[in-house]
Amino acid sequence: MNAIMTPPPRSTDAQPCVHLQGIHKFYGSVHALRNVDLTIKRGEVCVAIGPSGSGKSTLLRCINQLEEISAGKVYVLGELAGYAEIDGRMHVLAPRRIAEQRRRTGMVFQRFNLFPHMTAIENIMEGPVHVKNTPKATARENAQALLKRVGLADLAGRYPSQLSGGQQQRVAIARALAMEPEVMLFDEPTSALDPELVGEVLDVIKDLASSGMTMMLVTHEIGFAREVANHLVFMDQGAVVEEGDPRAVLNRPSNPRTRAFLSKVL
Amino acid sequence: MDIEKAPPDRLVPARQADRDGAVKLNEVVPRRHPGRWLATILLLWLAFSFAQNVATNENFHWDIFAQYVFAPQVIRGVGWTILLTIVAMAVAISIALLLVVMRGSDNPILRTCAWFWIWFFRGTPVYTQLLFWGLFAVLFPRISLSLPFGSEIVGLDTRMLVTPAVAAIVGLGFNESAYLAEIFRAGFNAIDRGQLEAAQALGMRQGRIWRRILLPQAMRVIVPPTGNETIGMLKMTSLVLAVPFTLDLMFATNAIANRLYLPVPLLLVAGFWYLSITSLLMVGQYYLERHFGRGVDTIRARTE
Ligand SMILES: Nc1ncnc2c1ncn2[C@@H]1O[C@H](COP(=O)(O)OP(=O)(O)OP(=O)(O)O)[C@@H](O)[C@H]1O
Ligand SMILES: [Mg+2]
Repeated sequence: MNAIMTPPPRSTDAQPCVHLQGIHKFYGSVHALRNVDLTIKRGEVCVAIGPSGSGKSTLLRCINQLEEISAGKVYVLGELAGYAEIDGRMHVLAPRRIAEQRRRTGMVFQRFNLFPHMTAIENIMEGPVHVKNTPKATARENAQALLKRVGLADLAGRYPSQLSGGQQQRVAIARALAMEPEVMLFDEPTSALDPELVGEVLDVIKDLASSGMTMMLVTHEIGFAREVANHLVFMDQGAVVEEGDPRAVLNRPSNPRTRAFLSKVL
Repeated sequence: MDIEKAPPDRLVPARQADRDGAVKLNEVVPRRHPGRWLATILLLWLAFSFAQNVATNENFHWDIFAQYVFAPQVIRGVGWTILLTIVAMAVAISIALLLVVMRGSDNPILRTCAWFWIWFFRGTPVYTQLLFWGLFAVLFPRISLSLPFGSEIVGLDTRMLVTPAVAAIVGLGFNESAYLAEIFRAGFNAIDRGQLEAAQALGMRQGRIWRRILLPQAMRVIVPPTGNETIGMLKMTSLVLAVPFTLDLMFATNAIANRLYLPVPLLLVAGFWYLSITSLLMVGQYYLERHFGRGVDTIRARTE
C-alpha cells in the first residue's frame, strides 16, 4: 500500500524540522497558547521550560496533532500539519492523511502509555508491523536491537506491569524510535519517575541527542536542559517569553518572568 | 549509535540465591484452619443426605428421566438451543460493536441512529419483539426496493426470508445487541485516554486502533458481563415459542411432559441440559478471561 502513496517530502538540512507560525489554542475560554512562533532546525535539541500550566504540553501536542490548533500554522518537516491550504482557506485533511503525517514524529509521554496487553517487544513491534507493514521477523530483529540500545535486552518478554517506571519509559522511547521518526517529542519523560530512575531515562535521551536526532523536550530538570539543549524556550501563560541559547537564557535571563521562575527552580 | 552504556537489567530468580546456599529461607509454618474442616464435614453431610433423599424419592421419576435424557427429540432440542444461543449472540456482538463505534464517532447521524436502536430494543419486552418478528411475514408479505411512487426494482417474498429460525435469531440478537452495546461502551470507557493518544502518535489509523489497541483492552472488562449475558441468552431461547419456533429444548421437553402428564422428570431433563451447557460456557469464559487478562492479571495482591 505504501508503494503507491507519494512519498512524503524529505526535509533538507536547510529546511526547519518544525515550524510554528502564530499558534493560538483555546480550550473553551482558556487561552492555552498565545501567538507562539517557534522554529526547530534539523539536529536541534529544543527544550521547553516554564511554570505548570504555561502550555508546554499543549504546544508539544499541537505539533503532532493530538490537539487541534485554534489559529496559526504548524509545519512539520516542511509539510503543513492537519490541513491543505487551498486559496488561502484551510481544508481539514482526512484522518488517514493525518495518521500518515504523525508517522514522521515520535512521541514519549509523561505516563509512558505503553500498551498493557503487549509485552515490551510487542509494544515496540506494534508500529512497524501494523502501521508500516514491516515483516514480523524484521520488526522483531529491529525491536530487539532497540531494546539493547535502551539497555533492556533481557526484558523483551515482560509485560509493562512487570517493569519499573524507568524501564517502562525506556521501552516507550524504543517504541517511538521503532517508527524511525525524524523528530522526537518528549513531554516530561521523567516527571512520573522516582529520583533514582530519572538518570537511566535521561541517559537514553542524552545518547539520542548526541546521535543527531532532532527533538523537542519538555522538562523540569533544568540541569539536564543545560546539558543537552542547544535551544531553550521559556514559556509562561501560553506564550514564549524568552528563547535562545540555553546558557544565555539560564545564566542571564533578560525577562523578569524567566528570572522569577529560575530563581525558584535553581 | 553505540548506546549500550546503560547496564542491562537482570531478573534474578528469587530462589537462585537460595540454591547457591547464600540465603537461608525462613521455615514457614502455615496457619491452621480448624473451622474450615468443621464446615466442610458439616456441608458434606448435608449434601449427602439431600442427594440421597432426592435420588430415592419416587416423585422425581428417575426412570422417566433416564429414559428421556438422551432421547433424539431432546438431543435435537439441545442442538437447536445451542445453535440459537451462539448465532443470536454472534449477531448481538457484531451489532453491539458497530453501535459502540457509531456512538463514539463524530458523525451526528451515526450517533443518533445508534441511540435510537438502543432506546427501542432495550425499551420493549423481548417477548413482544419475538411475537412481532413471528408476525413479520404477515405484516410485510413482500419486501421490495422501488423508486418513490415508481415501479419495483427487486422484490422478495418475506416468508422465504424470515423463517421461524431467522425470526428467532433476529429477535433474540437485536434485543441483546442493545444490552451488549452498553456493556461494551463501559468497557471502552474504562480505557485510559493515553492509550488512544499513544496509538495515534504512532500514526495508526482509527480502524487499527480499535482492533489492535482498544478492543483487546476493553475485552478484559467486557468478557465477564458478556458471559453473563450469554448464559442469560441460553435461557432466553425458551421464549422463541412466541415466534413460534418449536424445536428448542424447552419446547421439546414440554411436549413430552404434556404427553406423559409427568412434568417433573422432564423439567429435570431440561434443567440437566441447561446446567451442562452453562458449565461448558463457563469453561470457555475462563479461557477468554485468561487470554484478555494477559499483562494485567500477572500481579496479584496478596490475599489474607
Ligand atoms: N483538555 C483541556 N481542557 C481545558 N483546559 C486545558 C486542557 N488541557 C490543558 N488545559 C489548560 O491549558 C493550560 C496549559 O496546559 P498544559 O498542560 O499545556 O500546561 P503545562 O505547561 O504542560 O503544565 P505542566 O508543567 O503542569 O505539565 C492550563 O491552564 C490548563 O489548565
Ligand atoms: Mg505538561
